[in-house]
Amino acid sequence: MSRTLWAASARHLLRRPAQLILALIGLALGVATITAVDIATASANRAFELSLDAVSGPATNEITAGPAGLDEQLYISIALREPELAPVPLLEGYVTIGDEAFQLVGVDPLAAANASAERAADGPQAIGTLQAAGAPRAQQPAPGTEALGGLDELRRWLTEPGAAIMAASSARRLGLTVGSRFEIAAGGRPFTAVLIAEDASGLPGREGLILTDIAQAQEWLGARGRLSSIELRAPRDAAGLAALTELRAQLPHGVELQPVGRRSRTNLDMTRAFATNLHAMSLLALLVGLFLIYGAVSFAVLQRRRTFAVLRALGATRLEIVRLVMLESLLLGVAGALLGLGAGVALGRVLIALVSRTINDLYFVVAVNTVALPHGALATAVGAGVVTALLAAVLPAWEAARIEPQLGLKRSTLEVRAAAIARALVLASVVFALGSGAIVLMTSRSLLAGFVALFLLLLAVAGVTPALLGAVAQAGARVCRRSPVGRLALGGVASSLSRTGVAVASLGLAIAAMIGVSVMVGSFRDSLHEWLIRTMRADLYVTVPGPGFGRPERRIEPRVLAALTSVPGIAHFTATRNAIVDSPRGPISIAAVSFTPQMQTGIELVGERDRAAREAWEAFAHGAVFMAEPLAWRLDMHRGSSLTLETASGARRFEVAGLYREYGNGRGGVLMDRDVYRHWWGDEGVSSVSLSLAQGVEPADVVAALRRAAAGHQAIFIGSNADILALSMSIFDRTFVITRVLYWLAAGVAAIGLTSSLLAWELERARELGVLRSLGLTPGGAAALIEAQTIFMGLVAFVAAVPAGLLAAELLVTVINRRAFGWLIDFHLQGAQLANALWLAVAAAAAAGVYPAWRSARASIAAHLREE
Amino acid sequence: MHAVLDEVDLELQSGASAAIVGRSGSGKSTLLNLLSGIDRPDGGTIELDGREIGQLREPARTVLRRESIGFVYQFFNLIPTLSVEENVLLALELKGMRGAQARHRTRGLLDRVGLGSRAASTVDMLSGGEQQRVAIARALVHEPRLVLADEPTGNLDEATAREIVPLLTELVREREAMLIVVTHDRALAAAADRVWELRDGRLHEPQGSSEGA
Repeated sequence: MSRTLWAASARHLLRRPAQLILALIGLALGVATITAVDIATASANRAFELSLDAVSGPATNEITAGPAGLDEQLYISIALREPELAPVPLLEGYVTIGDEAFQLVGVDPLAAANASAERAADGPQAIGTLQAAGAPRAQQPAPGTEALGGLDELRRWLTEPGAAIMAASSARRLGLTVGSRFEIAAGGRPFTAVLIAEDASGLPGREGLILTDIAQAQEWLGARGRLSSIELRAPRDAAGLAALTELRAQLPHGVELQPVGRRSRTNLDMTRAFATNLHAMSLLALLVGLFLIYGAVSFAVLQRRRTFAVLRALGATRLEIVRLVMLESLLLGVAGALLGLGAGVALGRVLIALVSRTINDLYFVVAVNTVALPHGALATAVGAGVVTALLAAVLPAWEAARIEPQLGLKRSTLEVRAAAIARALVLASVVFALGSGAIVLMTSRSLLAGFVALFLLLLAVAGVTPALLGAVAQAGARVCRRSPVGRLALGGVASSLSRTGVAVASLGLAIAAMIGVSVMVGSFRDSLHEWLIRTMRADLYVTVPGPGFGRPERRIEPRVLAALTSVPGIAHFTATRNAIVDSPRGPISIAAVSFTPQMQTGIELVGERDRAAREAWEAFAHGAVFMAEPLAWRLDMHRGSSLTLETASGARRFEVAGLYREYGNGRGGVLMDRDVYRHWWGDEGVSSVSLSLAQGVEPADVVAALRRAAAGHQAIFIGSNADILALSMSIFDRTFVITRVLYWLAAGVAAIGLTSSLLAWELERARELGVLRSLGLTPGGAAALIEAQTIFMGLVAFVAAVPAGLLAAELLVTVINRRAFGWLIDFHLQGAQLANALWLAVAAAAAAGVYPAWRSARASIAAHLREE
Repeated sequence: MHAVLDEVDLELQSGASAAIVGRSGSGKSTLLNLLSGIDRPDGGTIELDGREIGQLREPARTVLRRESIGFVYQFFNLIPTLSVEENVLLALELKGMRGAQARHRTRGLLDRVGLGSRAASTVDMLSGGEQQRVAIARALVHEPRLVLADEPTGNLDEATAREIVPLLTELVREREAMLIVVTHDRALAAAADRVWELRDGRLHEPQGSSEGA
C-alpha cells in the first residue's frame, strides 16, 4: 500500500495526541490488568512449586501418612530393606520468626549423604536433601553441602541445640548473622535457635525455608519420633518400578506411596477457581478497553470521512481503506500491549502481595518472593492488545470502506445511521440477554459457561445504552422547552449518538460490572456475618497462633489444655482438632469436634427439617460426617453419599449425614465427631477450644486467668466472639481487595473512554460552540454546557447499568460463586451499593468532562468560526 | 423514483474539453458521478476508450478511476495531513508508481503549476488558489484520459479564477486528455471547446451557441 497513505494516516493520529494517548492508556490498562493477574497467579504458583522442589529435591516418590505423620521406625526399616531407593526422612512444619512465617524443614544430613552415595552415578555427593529447581538436578548444589561445607559447621549442626540454616537474604532481612541466636515460634511455643550457617546460593525457593536437624525439628514441632514424609528416588526403569511396587505392598495401612508433590499440588488445584475469577475480572477491564479502542478508531474514521471519500475517488479500493484502518488499529494495539506489558509487570508486583495474602488466608502457606513472568504472558499481553484493537476496528473499518467516493457522508446521514444501529443494538441486546439466560439454564457446573453468560449480560447493557441515551435525551430536550441552552445540551447528546453512544455504553458496562460485583461481595459479606453470628455460640475461643490451616504443630499442649479448661467460670467447652487427611479425591480438611448439645445449634444443616436434623445428628454421633457445601459441590456429593478417607488403618468410607453451611474454609471440609477422629487417626491433639462462660462471669476475668494458665508453656491466642467476628470480616475484606482493585481499573478505563469520546465530539462541534460563544455564551457557560452533558450521560449510563448490574449480581451470587467455590449465598442488596455506583458514574463522567470543558472555554471564537 | 438524467447523449474526443452548466439541482454532479463510475446508470452506456464503465463492477471502476480519471473539486479536497508534494504523489502511488520516477514527475508538475518551491509545505498553509493548483496537479499527475472538474473556480476569487482556468485547460490539452467541467462560471465555460446546459435531465445547447450535443 502507498507509503504516502500511511504517512497521512500516522499524521492524522499524531495531530490529535490527546485522543491517541487516551486510547493507548485505556488499552494499556486493560492489557496491564491481564498481565498483572497472570504474573500474580503465576508467581504464587511458581513460589509454591519452588518450595516444593526445594524441599523434595531430586526425589521421585514420597511416603506419607495422615495428620499424625509417619513413625520414624518405618524409615529405618525401609532404609535397611530398600537402600537402592535412597530413602531420606523429612519433617516439615511452619514456624514464625517475629511476624514472618517460614517453612521449617528437618533433615538428616547423614541419611542424605547415604542417599547421595546411592545416587553417586548422578553427580557429586550431597549431604543435604535440598535441591533447587531450574538447573539439571544431578549438577545442582545441595544447600546442605554448601552451608555445611566445613567440619566445624557439621559438628555444630549435630551438637549445638537449636542449630539452623537459612538463606543469606532472609538472615539479612531479619538482621541475623552466623552465630546469632533468635527466637522461633512453633505451634505457639517459643524456642531458641542459632544460625550456624547461611545458604548463600540465592537460589529461588530457599528464601522461605529454615533447615534444622530432624531431631531438632521433631522437638520444635512437637512430633517426637514422627516424620512428615520419606522421600525416595527410584530409578526410572523397570527395576525401580518393581521396587516401588514391592515397597507399596509392604507399607502399613494408612501409609501412602505416591509421586512426589502430588499431594501438595492438589492444594494448588484448589486455587484454580480463585485464579479463574481474577482472570475474568481482568478480562472485564480489557472488554471495557475494547469499547474504548472502538471509540477512538471510529472517531478517527469519522473525522476523516472526507479524506476517505477523496481517496476513494482517487482510486483507493475499499480493501485498501480497510487495511489502512485495521493497520492503524493494529499499531495502536501493539503499542498499547507493549505499554500494558510494562505497566502490568509493575501492577503485578502489587497484585502479588494481594494474591499471596488471599492464598495464605484461604488455601495454604506460600511466601512469594520472586516475580514470575510466565512464558505466555508476553504473547498473551500482545495477543490480547492486538486482538482487542483489531476487533474494535472491524466496524469502523467497514464503515470507512462504505464511504462513497464523493464528498463524504453528511453528518446527518451518519447520525441517522447511528440511530438505526442503536435500534438494531436493542434487538441484539435482547438476543444477548436471552442467550445469557439460556446458557445458565443449559449448564449446571461449568464456570466458563457462567462467565460467558455474565459477559453476554454485560454486553446486553452496552447494546441497549445508546438507544436509551437517545430516547432519554430527546425526552429531556422536549421537557427543556423554555431553556434553549438546556434543549441544545440534551438535543446535542441525542443527535450525536455516533459519538456519545459508545462512550456511554462502555461506562454503563463498567458501572453494571461494579454494581454486580459489589452486590455480590456485599451479599457474601452479609451471609458470612450471619453465619458467624449463628456459628459462634461460645464466649471465648482459644487457639494456637501460627501459619497454615490444619497444621499438626498447631496443637494446644495437653497440660495447657487441662489448665485452660479448668479455669473457674467456664460452664462448658468444645475441643476441636483441625487436620488435613488424604482421600482418593484429594486432601480433605477435617474439623473434629466434641460437640455439646448447646453448640450443635450453631451448625446450620442445609435443607434439613427438625426430625431429619435429629436423625442426622444421631448418625453423626455414630461415625457419619457432615460435609460443608463447598466441598459437597466440588465432589458432587450430597446427603447419603459416602466419602472415603485415608485413616491410620487404611481407607475407610464415611457416610455423609448432612450438608452444612460453611464460609470459614474456602475449599470446604467435613465435620466429624472428635471421638470418631481419635479412633481412626489416633491423633489426640486439640487445635482450638471454644469456651462458654457461666452466667454472670466477666469474660475479661476469664481471659486473664487463661493467660495465666498458659504462661510459660505456650503462646495462645484468645479471642472473644466479637474479636473472631472482627478478624473474620477483616480477612474477608482483604480477600476482596483485589476484586475491588480490578473493577476500579475497569471503571478507570471507561472514564478514559468517555474523555476520549468527549474530546472527539468537542472537535466535531467546535464551530457550533464558536457560534454559541459569538452569540454571548460565556467561557464558563460553554464549560458548564459540556459538563452538564457529560453528567447527564453518566446518569444515563447509571440508569442502564442498574437492572443489568442487579442481574449480574444475581448471576455472580447464584451461578458464578456456586460454580467456582460451591458457596450458597443469600442475595442482599443495600442502598449504599447503588449510591456508590451512582457516585462513580457521575464522578467518572464529571471527571471525563473536565478537560474538554476547559478546552472549550479557552478556545478562540474566531478560530472556531473560521474553520471550514 | 425521480429521474435526474434522461437520455443524456454526450461524446468527447481526446484533447477536447466540455463545460456543463445548469441550475443547482439540475443533475450536474450526478452526471459527474456517472462519468467517473462512482454511480451506475439505470440505463444507457458510458464508455471511456471503448470500455463500458456502467457495466464494470465496483473494484474495476475503482481501478478505472485511479488509472484513467482525475478529479478537481470546488473545495480542493486535499489531504490535510500531507504536504503539497505528498498530495500529488499519492495519486501516482495509488496507481502503483513509486520511487524516483514518481517523485520526478510530481516535482515537474508542481513546477509547472508554479508551486515547486512549496513542495514541502503543508496544504493548510496555502491560499485557496494555491490549493487548487495542487489539486490540478494531483488530478493530472497520473496522466488520466479524463479529468472531471466540479466547480473548480467556485471557491476562488475572480482574479485567482482567471489564473486557474487557463492553467487547467492548458495542462489538459497538453496531455491530450478530455476535460469535463461542471460550472456556473461563464468565463470557465467559455474556455471549453463545447458547452452544454443541463436542463430537465437533458443536455441542451445554450441559447446563442452553435454547438450542441
